[in-house]
Amino acid sequence: MEFIVDTLGNAFSVVAEFGPELRKVLALTLWVSGSATIIGVCLGVPLGVALGLGRFRGRGAVTALVNTGMGMPPVLAGLLLLMLLWNDGPLGSWGLLFTPAAMVAAQALLAVPIAAGVTAAGIRALSPDTREQLASLRLGRWTQGVVAAREAWPAVVGAAAAAFGRVIAEVGAVLIVGGNIAGETRVLTTAIVQESRRANFGTALGLGIVLLLLALFVNGVLTHFQLKEAT
Amino acid sequence: MSGIIISGLSHSYPGGTVEIENLELYEGERLVLYGPNGSGKTTTLRLLAGTLAGGPSIDTAYLPQRPIAFRGSAGWNLTLGLDQSAHPTAQRLAQEMGVSQLLDRPARRLSGGERQRLALARVLARPEPIVLLDEPLAALDVSDRASVAALVNKALGGRSAIVVTHDREIAAALGDRIAVMIDGRIRQVGTPQEVFTQPADEMVADALGIGNVLGGEVMEIDGPLIGLKVGPVVVWGLGEGAEGSSARAIFGAEAVTVYAGTSPNAGSARNTWEGTVEEVRPAGRLMEVLIDCGPRVAALVTPGSMEALGLAAGSKATVAVKATAVRVLSA
Repeated sequence: MEFIVDTLGNAFSVVAEFGPELRKVLALTLWVSGSATIIGVCLGVPLGVALGLGRFRGRGAVTALVNTGMGMPPVLAGLLLLMLLWNDGPLGSWGLLFTPAAMVAAQALLAVPIAAGVTAAGIRALSPDTREQLASLRLGRWTQGVVAAREAWPAVVGAAAAAFGRVIAEVGAVLIVGGNIAGETRVLTTAIVQESRRANFGTALGLGIVLLLLALFVNGVLTHFQLKEAT
Repeated sequence: MSGIIISGLSHSYPGGTVEIENLELYEGERLVLYGPNGSGKTTTLRLLAGTLAGGPSIDTAYLPQRPIAFRGSAGWNLTLGLDQSAHPTAQRLAQEMGVSQLLDRPARRLSGGERQRLALARVLARPEPIVLLDEPLAALDVSDRASVAALVNKALGGRSAIVVTHDREIAAALGDRIAVMIDGRIRQVGTPQEVFTQPADEMVADALGIGNVLGGEVMEIDGPLIGLKVGPVVVWGLGEGAEGSSARAIFGAEAVTVYAGTSPNAGSARNTWEGTVEEVRPAGRLMEVLIDCGPRVAALVTPGSMEALGLAAGSKATVAVKATAVRVLSA
């Protein structure tokens, strides 16, 4: 019992202190996962709209790929990217390994399928009447996609929330391509792993609380947009 | 611009099969596709519009059945999909349809009728030579349908149109010809007069209901009543129209009272005409009597009344119809 109380006490003091090291880790977390989410939404939402609306060749195969990608293990995404960015790998000359850019790329790889899958489901859920009206207007592809995405607005925001939730919580991919270098590539999840291994449970729990608060804040903002009656 | 011939159109869907061997749409014509719910009218229109695969490739403007307003202002919805050059036309049509004052509002806040007027203005502003309208007036108040039908007719101008409806008055008012569709097939094509007064078979008669459609010219207006000159008689009814314009009077055969002889006490009905019985034929459990009063008028009577009145082909008769039972729609 004393152990639990001590751990909780330490955790809260870590949060309350909010020291420079924690602030740096938090900032990098927000930067990496935020960038990955933005990339995921920018690529995934149009892909999802195309999958939800279109009747193009290979749509079934792409849908299967996207659905599989939604369940892609982060460590595998990290491993694939690691091989690409490794010194002897095809993109080794870019020198991105163990940098925040590599971490953003790894998380974006996880975010794109989620954003695409959730968006596509939302577009497919548009009423047949809406789809018929949309088809009747003979809009250009791009305009048609934009109108459809606006109609499926709650799903598009949901896609962003799901993508962010996926990347903020993952540790495997950023650990592999980022390396958890203090002050350079350490984010909240990798820091939690490290502190847990060292049995610094209080610190680890404190970081966990910060992570949860961050997720709560971002999702609060997104939920606000999701529920706002976009007219 | 020219008419089209729709032929060999065939499509199966979970609810049935649409099979059109041959249907011609003349240049500048309003062809009404009329039939009961589930007869395949909407499927046919979707095939022609290309929103359902398997139809011919023709250049059409298409108004789907239910008016959907997309997120955004009504004004934005109005011009969605239109070339810049068509925007002024859309604005003018919106004004005529009575929705121009709503354009700043979010389209989703509009009523069903307002959305439909907006959608009508949009589709009628499109440049395609053939216009397909699926139940264009169904979302409107009954009292507004005649005036909007006239606006649609005017806005269509010289373009050809196929209009789907299951409303007999709309069909009679808008259609140059009516194609009656039952169970996915066209059973009869003809002018409203032909189709309503001489249905090809019992199924068509059933689908249409036996009725009277009399075309004429507006001669006199008396308050809410319009006097339509149809051959030698004047038909009074409720509706809209300007003096001198052509219009149609539409009333059901069940609204017609028949008296034997030439000068009986025909009550207070404003429409009382004398004529000669042309034909008597069974119509289900009732008898349909066709009386030549100048225009030919169809009436439904019970077999008992037939006998009591002594009606037979060649006998004199007087028919009466209350003016309030007659709808006058501008043609």
